[in-house]
Amino acid sequence: MTDDVALTATDLRRSYGDVTALDGVSIDVATDSVTALIGPNGSGKTTLLEVLLGIERSDAGTVDYGESDARRQVGYLPQRPTFRPDDTVRETIAFYAALVEDDPDRLLERVGLDTVPDRRVSALSGGMTRLLGIAQALAGDPPILALDEPASGLDPAVSDRIFGVVDSLAADGRTVLLTSHALSLVERTADHVVVVEAGGVAARGSPAALCERTGGPLHETFTDLLSEPTAAVGGGGES
Amino acid sequence: MIRRLDRFWTVFGREVRGLVRTRVVFVLGAVIAALAFGVARAGGGPSGGYVPTVVDVLVVVELLVPAAAFAIGYRALADATARGEPAVLETYPLSPWTYVAGVYAGRAVALLAVVVVPLLALGAHVATTAGPETTVLASHRGVDSVSLYVRFVALTALLGLVTLAVALALSAVANSRRRAILLGLFGLLLAVAGTDVTVLTALGGGLLDESALGTALALTPSGAYRGLVFEHVLSVAFEGRSGFVPTGIALVASLFWWASGLSLAALWAGFR
Repeated sequence: MTDDVALTATDLRRSYGDVTALDGVSIDVATDSVTALIGPNGSGKTTLLEVLLGIERSDAGTVDYGESDARRQVGYLPQRPTFRPDDTVRETIAFYAALVEDDPDRLLERVGLDTVPDRRVSALSGGMTRLLGIAQALAGDPPILALDEPASGLDPAVSDRIFGVVDSLAADGRTVLLTSHALSLVERTADHVVVVEAGGVAARGSPAALCERTGGPLHETFTDLLSEPTAAVGGGGES
Repeated sequence: MIRRLDRFWTVFGREVRGLVRTRVVFVLGAVIAALAFGVARAGGGPSGGYVPTVVDVLVVVELLVPAAAFAIGYRALADATARGEPAVLETYPLSPWTYVAGVYAGRAVALLAVVVVPLLALGAHVATTAGPETTVLASHRGVDSVSLYVRFVALTALLGLVTLAVALALSAVANSRRRAILLGLFGLLLAVAGTDVTVLTALGGGLLDESALGTALALTPSGAYRGLVFEHVLSVAFEGRSGFVPTGIALVASLFWWASGLSLAALWAGFR
């Protein structure tokens, strides 16, 4: 982990009609680290992630990536990765790999799916599909990985495996930005946590620093923060 | 450094593989072959020659080809959107134009296979059953020839490619399979009847002068196809008659529908 910044977002705003999804969010994402966006459902985590990726436009604000000559700037795992059901695992990853001249076998090996290259996507479990999604996100060796709820809907053992892969990706020197409700895994894996509430940033810091607020695990701090009537503070600061 | 053309082939290859796997292509090909042969033989066209065969199958082909184009194209982009694929592809160095071109080309190969192969087989059947007056090249009006049949097949392929582009545009607009089905049916109805009915309604309502009817019909995909077939294939059978549609306008109109369909699909696909 370094203090360099991989991505800087300043004063991001996004509304859908009368609903404010992002209300002046500013964050820095440090390189070679895992930054987790946590918050209740509908708090704006996914919108923030998608705006940071450029998939969703913002009404105002800027997103700046650091200098990079990567074939692909950012890898993205959507919340429910879905692939062509009749394609095999290898065919699926070969398609994405070919777009960025990568080696599909290397990608499958990286997430542990090299043992089932001929299995149809329709026959994959939820956890395996998520791993295939992570392999896709790794195609082209992007310096930043954005993972939207990488463990949602998975049993604890599979969630643990997914976060183990995330951990190893950060150890490889990648910048990982993820959203998650799996707070115990976030507490174990993340270097930085940003608590998103009502389109703003309610708190930010390392898991240890946030836990100090209540003296308990991260989910206690999370619950405590959200029970505060003016939790969301938005604005800048360091992540 | 990977080039845009390589990415095009990557998308193209995936489309072809997916279509071969669904077996829809084979079913469509068998249906078109069965209907084309059935209608032609019922009408006695093959024993009369190429032009009589075209007369027999023209109406069926005019309905079947757009139907096949929509069957092959209606889910092409809608399924990808429903899977959330555009958001993922937006993180790749792949432009929506290259993506749509690859999808279109892959589907076009399948469409041409199900349309052209049965028609060529029917042509081969004509070659073995037609009388001796059928020749290779028509030297004057009233002479049947295989070159006229090749023109018919080429014009039919053009109709299929144009309709497929329109189907792809509607598929891009639809973001679910249900909407894709509804829009596909709407587009098919529009392609096979709606545009002609609109022109004829305008004529009946006095909005269109009768002298402009040929031009107006040439502006629609089906009208342009029918007019071009009459003008360049069947005209040998109409002594002293020509000018069913202005050829240039019919071709430009077809090009317009084709380019508009693909452009709309690429713009709607919208990533990057």
